[in-house]
Amino acid sequence: MQVAGSVAAERLRLNVFGHAYVGVGAVVIVVLFYLAIAAQITQSSYDIARLQDQQRQLIAEQDQLRYQEVTMHAPAQVQQHAAQSGMQRVIPSRFVTGQEVAVDLSAAVGASPVDATPLWLRAVAVIANTVAGTRDVMASTKK
Amino acid sequence: MLLVAVVLAGMVWARLAYWQVVQHGQLTLQAQAQYRELVELPALRGAIFDRNLTQLVVNTTVYSAFVSPDQIAATQRDAVATGLATVLGADRPKVMATLESNVKFAYIARRFAKAKADQLRTLKLPGVGLQEETQRSYLPGTSSGSTLAANLLGFVDWNGDGNYGLEANYQKALGGTPGYISSYRDLANREIVLGTHTHQDPVNGQNLVLSLDANIQYAAEQALMEGVKRDRAESGSVLIMDPTTGGIVAWADYPSYNANSFNRTNTALFKDNVLSYVYEPGSVMKVVTLAGAINAGAIEPGTVINDPGVLNVGGYRIYDWDRRNHGNVNYTYVLEHSLNVGAMKAMLAEGHPAFYKNLEAFGLTTPSGIDVAGENHIAPPSAAKMQDSQYATTAFGQGIDVNMVQMLAAINVVANGGKYAPPHVVERVGRNLNPLLLQPQRQVISAATAAKMTTMMQMVVQHGSGWTSRIPGFQLDQCGKTGTSQIPVNGKYTQDVWSSFVGFLPAKKPRFTMLVVVRKPHYPGSENDWTLNDGYMTAEPIWKQIAQTLVVSWHITPDKP
Repeated sequence: MQVAGSVAAERLRLNVFGHAYVGVGAVVIVVLFYLAIAAQITQSSYDIARLQDQQRQLIAEQDQLRYQEVTMHAPAQVQQHAAQSGMQRVIPSRFVTGQEVAVDLSAAVGASPVDATPLWLRAVAVIANTVAGTRDVMASTKK
Repeated sequence: MLLVAVVLAGMVWARLAYWQVVQHGQLTLQAQAQYRELVELPALRGAIFDRNLTQLVVNTTVYSAFVSPDQIAATQRDAVATGLATVLGADRPKVMATLESNVKFAYIARRFAKAKADQLRTLKLPGVGLQEETQRSYLPGTSSGSTLAANLLGFVDWNGDGNYGLEANYQKALGGTPGYISSYRDLANREIVLGTHTHQDPVNGQNLVLSLDANIQYAAEQALMEGVKRDRAESGSVLIMDPTTGGIVAWADYPSYNANSFNRTNTALFKDNVLSYVYEPGSVMKVVTLAGAINAGAIEPGTVINDPGVLNVGGYRIYDWDRRNHGNVNYTYVLEHSLNVGAMKAMLAEGHPAFYKNLEAFGLTTPSGIDVAGENHIAPPSAAKMQDSQYATTAFGQGIDVNMVQMLAAINVVANGGKYAPPHVVERVGRNLNPLLLQPQRQVISAATAAKMTTMMQMVVQHGSGWTSRIPGFQLDQCGKTGTSQIPVNGKYTQDVWSSFVGFLPAKKPRFTMLVVVRKPHYPGSENDWTLNDGYMTAEPIWKQIAQTLVVSWHITPDKP
């Protein structure tokens, strides 16, 4: 039992070294894996940056096309194209006619409208307006 | 010996402690500055649309080319200069001089189109870089030297700030809030997008929807340009309003400018004469005077007065424009023939305090408050400080200064059944309706008074000075009033005039109210007869031409008899 135990212990000691190698190996693998991932991430980020740049250019192109489209519908451009095609806007000369509503200035003019407000009320209004001032234009409207 | 060693070691440790502890923060910042970068993410500026959702402004990308001469080998300079001169049209000797200089950075060309930038990219010139910039592009106007509604819209400078007009007034809403991204860069100064970084998205600017109609705006600019040239005037402006809402339909100035090349424009042209230029409105003011007097019950359209052609007020003899004795006339005739004496008598019948309150109620004593930058306003003296003579001249529109927005909004009271519609240009900011549109409108005069004034203004077109504005089919159904006032210089009135015409149609249910002002017209033949510069010869034909376009474009029909 004693001998068997010492052999096992010897094997165990070897295993400790073995574990150390395995551990170092694992660390190396992790580091390499990390580096590979980091490199991949960096590569991807460059790809994204390139695509973003491409996107910016496409947006710029889209804006340019949008401006061209809007300009083509602008009244100035429409008129220019119409003129080039020999078209001309004609102002209509025929409309629906209406009945004439005119004041006959030669007719006798009637008397000016008479203010029917009682004298005492006018006096009160003068005093009230002097003291307090008229509230607004509507307040002074004659009913 | 030991002591010396300890002192020396102490000095080293102290120095280490200084750099590692005391200067830690500072050094960290310097290190970060080398590999970390804070990039601003610009917010997209909001677009501007007219009432039919026609886009009036578009954001476009332009490019600037720069060189770093220290990165260009002497042997490559020639090729770089040739490439830049060929693609950008730059002056080759100048480019060579820049490349041979000791400067680290220099612009070769600013703000050119993408096509040129693409050409430059394909050449792969060493030491040459491209910088992207955003530019606001505006629609073409009536001539190559102008863009549509330039004076109303304003422009955006190269720093992204709105200048003048709506671009300035709505800078905050249009501009948005820029975001940022804080990222790392490698040794080659390339961004590591997936590195540790903080990111704040930008908030893009809001779109504006205006009450403007691009087609009517164009027609107004065209008619105005032709009119100002025909009248050999200094300048002119047109303002059209929706009578019920107060929304501005067209806002034209001539001369105007090209907002796409604002950097090469005479800055005097940036001034918007509709809002920044105050003038004496002349006889157009008689509408306000008579409306107030009728509303106060002081007069009626048929009230007869005696007009001897002159009136003594405050020690001054004030004449009618023709200096003729008109005898007994009623107030409709006064408006038709634009008689100053009649207007003064209406003001006197109403009384000074009520007349002043009337000016206030019509919005002529305070700024209009319209949502466009740069409103100019000269307040009249207070009611107590106003002289008798100034009351008298104000009654027919001299001695009082207003801008066009104030004047049109005041006349629009008549068209809008006696209510004051607050003038505005923007209907929507983003998804939000302009709060002005939700507020009840102020009643200035009664609907009955407005109806009487409408009839009187119809008579002006049928029998009076408004005859040149008559539109076939609408002769009986349009309202108008001319205005001509002499321009004062150094306290004295000159022979130069502001001539104007204001009107609306159809009379009973108006679709638009329009004011045309022509400044310093010199109508052919006016050297012998200055009255040819009057509103009926200069402003009215412009009004008529634009109104005809409105009638056709908006399918307006006359009122039923």
